[in-house]
Amino acid sequence: MPLMTLEQLSYNYPNTQGLDHLDLTIQTGEFVCLLGPNGSGKSTLLRILSGLATASTGTYRFNDQAITADYLRDATKRQQLHQQIGLVFQNTDVQLFNPSVTEEVAFGPRQLGLSTAEVTQRVTDCLALTDCTELRERVPYQLSGGEKKRVALASVLALNPSVLLLDEPLNGLTIAAQQQLLTLLSRLQAAGKTIIMASHNFQQVQAVGQRFIIFNSAHQIDADVAGSVLATQPERQAQLMTL
Amino acid sequence: MTNQPSKTDLPTWLQTPNQPITKRHRQPFWARNQRHLQALLVRLAQPAPAIPATRWQLAPHIKLLRLGLLLLLIALINNGLFLWGLALLLGAQLLILAPSQLRRFLRSWLFSSLMAVIIVLPTYWLNGPATLLWFGFKTSLILANAQYYRATTNFQDLLTGLKTLHCPDVFIMTLAIAITYLRMLGNYLLQTMEALSLRTVAPAKHPYRLIGALFGNLYLKSYTYALALYAAMEARGFNGHYAKPAAKPTRWRDYLSLSPYVALMALLIFWRN
Amino acid sequence: MHIPDNYLSPATCGTLAIAMAPIWTVAVLKVKVQIKQHRETLPMLGIAAALAFLIMMFNLPIPGGTTAHAVGGTLLAVLIGPWAACLALTVTLLLQALLFGDGGILAFGANAFNMAFIMPFVGYACYRLGQKLHHEKIGLAIGAYLGINTAALVAGIELGLQPLLAHTASGAPLYCPYGLNIAVPAMLAAHLLVAGWVELVFTLLVYQFVQKVAPTNLYQTTPKTSQRPWLYLLGGMALLTPLGLLASNTAWGEWSPSELKHLLVQQHVGSTVPQGMAHGFHFQALFSDYAIAGLPVSVGYILSALTAILIFLLLIRGLQHDQSTFKN
Ligand SMILES: Nc1ncnc2c1ncn2[C@@H]1O[C@H](COP(=O)(O)OP(=O)(O)O)[C@@H](O)[C@H]1O
Ligand SMILES: [Mg+2]
Repeated sequence: MPLMTLEQLSYNYPNTQGLDHLDLTIQTGEFVCLLGPNGSGKSTLLRILSGLATASTGTYRFNDQAITADYLRDATKRQQLHQQIGLVFQNTDVQLFNPSVTEEVAFGPRQLGLSTAEVTQRVTDCLALTDCTELRERVPYQLSGGEKKRVALASVLALNPSVLLLDEPLNGLTIAAQQQLLTLLSRLQAAGKTIIMASHNFQQVQAVGQRFIIFNSAHQIDADVAGSVLATQPERQAQLMTL
Repeated sequence: MTNQPSKTDLPTWLQTPNQPITKRHRQPFWARNQRHLQALLVRLAQPAPAIPATRWQLAPHIKLLRLGLLLLLIALINNGLFLWGLALLLGAQLLILAPSQLRRFLRSWLFSSLMAVIIVLPTYWLNGPATLLWFGFKTSLILANAQYYRATTNFQDLLTGLKTLHCPDVFIMTLAIAITYLRMLGNYLLQTMEALSLRTVAPAKHPYRLIGALFGNLYLKSYTYALALYAAMEARGFNGHYAKPAAKPTRWRDYLSLSPYVALMALLIFWRN
Repeated sequence: MHIPDNYLSPATCGTLAIAMAPIWTVAVLKVKVQIKQHRETLPMLGIAAALAFLIMMFNLPIPGGTTAHAVGGTLLAVLIGPWAACLALTVTLLLQALLFGDGGILAFGANAFNMAFIMPFVGYACYRLGQKLHHEKIGLAIGAYLGINTAALVAGIELGLQPLLAHTASGAPLYCPYGLNIAVPAMLAAHLLVAGWVELVFTLLVYQFVQKVAPTNLYQTTPKTSQRPWLYLLGGMALLTPLGLLASNTAWGEWSPSELKHLLVQQHVGSTVPQGMAHGFHFQALFSDYAIAGLPVSVGYILSALTAILIFLLLIRGLQHDQSTFKN
């Protein structure tokens, strides 16, 4: 059974189109990169997958359960979905609202009914994984852009979602931090997580992606190729470099 | 796939799937606020309200003046016939609206009138039906005129109107900033609530503390916006004065359109003196 | 708390709008000083107006399943300073009245008086008092609660006076039909019991958050500089006060005892005299109280206005003299 299935899915914003008739299947444990120019619909797709928005037409099924507005109206079901799917926003500012980094990361686990020791354990682990340990007493609001990205990832990771959605997570990171993040994502994938990452920079994600879904500016999927296939197509690679 | 601590050096909890939480709970407080904010953002993002019949288009400041005069007149006049006349005038103007606009107008007007009348309903027993009817009639007439203004005026028109009426520049600038940043802050608040809902996997124990954090963050964001905006203003040569674009010349027709109201007002003032 | 149109007589609306004029003037002067030190205050006015708009539209959960919303007057006063808050809230109210139909357009002055003046200043005064006594949070809590309740009380009085101020010859109210005996308790009950507490908790939590995360972003009081703006305020008020006489058909406090009794009896008993629709304009009584026998109405009014202005000018003169001797 596929993890996520999209059938003829479209999404319309009040006065523009966001996505145009997508068909897509994603299996558990995949590492998927969404590529495409600005405004092609990558963020919109991540919003749909995470349940923040629901399809205008077409269907989205997660674990064979259709995710509709009606389904999400039930607070319990919605929160169960959120527990399984974590999203790191493109604009990480909006994601950090607690008075300190430690509290920010502890926010999620605290609600799971874990013991204080377990919560502390999770916070320590997540901060270490994202290389944020020395930021623990800082105020999220005063961090730099790259630091905010890492803290946001740590705070999502602390909930231990089985699917991790990341919207342009590499923006604003130094090359070293990018490498570190990509390595962490690969390790998470090896641990059984599904990773879906949006990016407009093919170069940055070329090495790690095992499947590339390429959007065009008409909000449609242009190509859906495996990394191994893409490696044999230098002309397409060259084309992606100039996105 | 679940327990492979040997393969990666990730913490064990991160390699074991979650137990789904099954605690039942109510809608969180942000669900409704998200809807309201979305509606606000849609409204703010909408382009100018489409007004047909450009021939009788009034200058923005005349529109504003006319609205003020009309409301004042309706509030002052206690003569049923005059008010009836004003109502007919408005009705005629409504005829120009597109059908969909008219429907939207009617819906919000009826709703707001109903709200206004419900509040004074007990006065039926205090002062009798005449007072209630009279009050309801006048209030809904005022509301209809204000609603008509809103339906046919976009924000830019309002600014132009105020500018032509010699409102201080600082005030106009503040108003313009307010509406721009209403959209940005609204968007920010909406996204924060979305992020919050994504990470809230159980009922919030202290909703008010979250609200404090939400608006505390919003204030801090406003502050950073203000710093950035001032830097941008200075970088573009802002010296504390707001440049005025050339105002559109006022046409005689614009003034003519005000004359009935002015005449009525004059009549009202000199009636007894 | 937003008073819609037609609940207040145009004269009341006008008076309150005119009363706001000197307050706005002083606010602009004060904010100009503030801008010299913190230049971002200028764009902050507009952004704070947007913030206030969002605060007022945000539904806060209250026990019992319903919702209420905060106004944020005290909070803004503490965050960006009371004068800047006054201007920002004014812009918010204007936007709400003109573009969103929240609160009346004619009643804009009244709403500004209640929510952009009374509320932030009462709240801020309590906060400062608390600060002096080294309990600023208690001061803030009391300020938020008192601020919104004072504003509600003033709104209740404004509404409740309407049947006394404006009525037909037969005594039927022309605007808000509820007298003081209904309007004030109704406004106060709602705010003392619910809205005041919501405001208090909201204000305190946001303040706590900002204080914890970025204490430097709170408004820092500037050392006392000049008292001149206060004098302008006083002077402006004084000059404009004669206009206040316009506010009522029978001016404030000038009811003869029998008239007052008559009015109050009408209020409480509730006259049910049906009121014809075509009673003509109710302006007939406007200047009658000022008509001195034998003088045209307008001359009498101008004379009394001039007298009032003179008295206030003398009063100001006296105050100025006192202050300069203190300085020496
Ligand atoms: N909140 C919104 N309101 C209206 N249109 C939007 C909104 N967000 C995105 N869009 C539009 O939807 C399209 C897809 O946007 P998005 O998914 O953000 O693209 P990407 O993330 O690939 O850059 C764009 O044309 C964009 O203008
Ligand atoms: Mg995007």
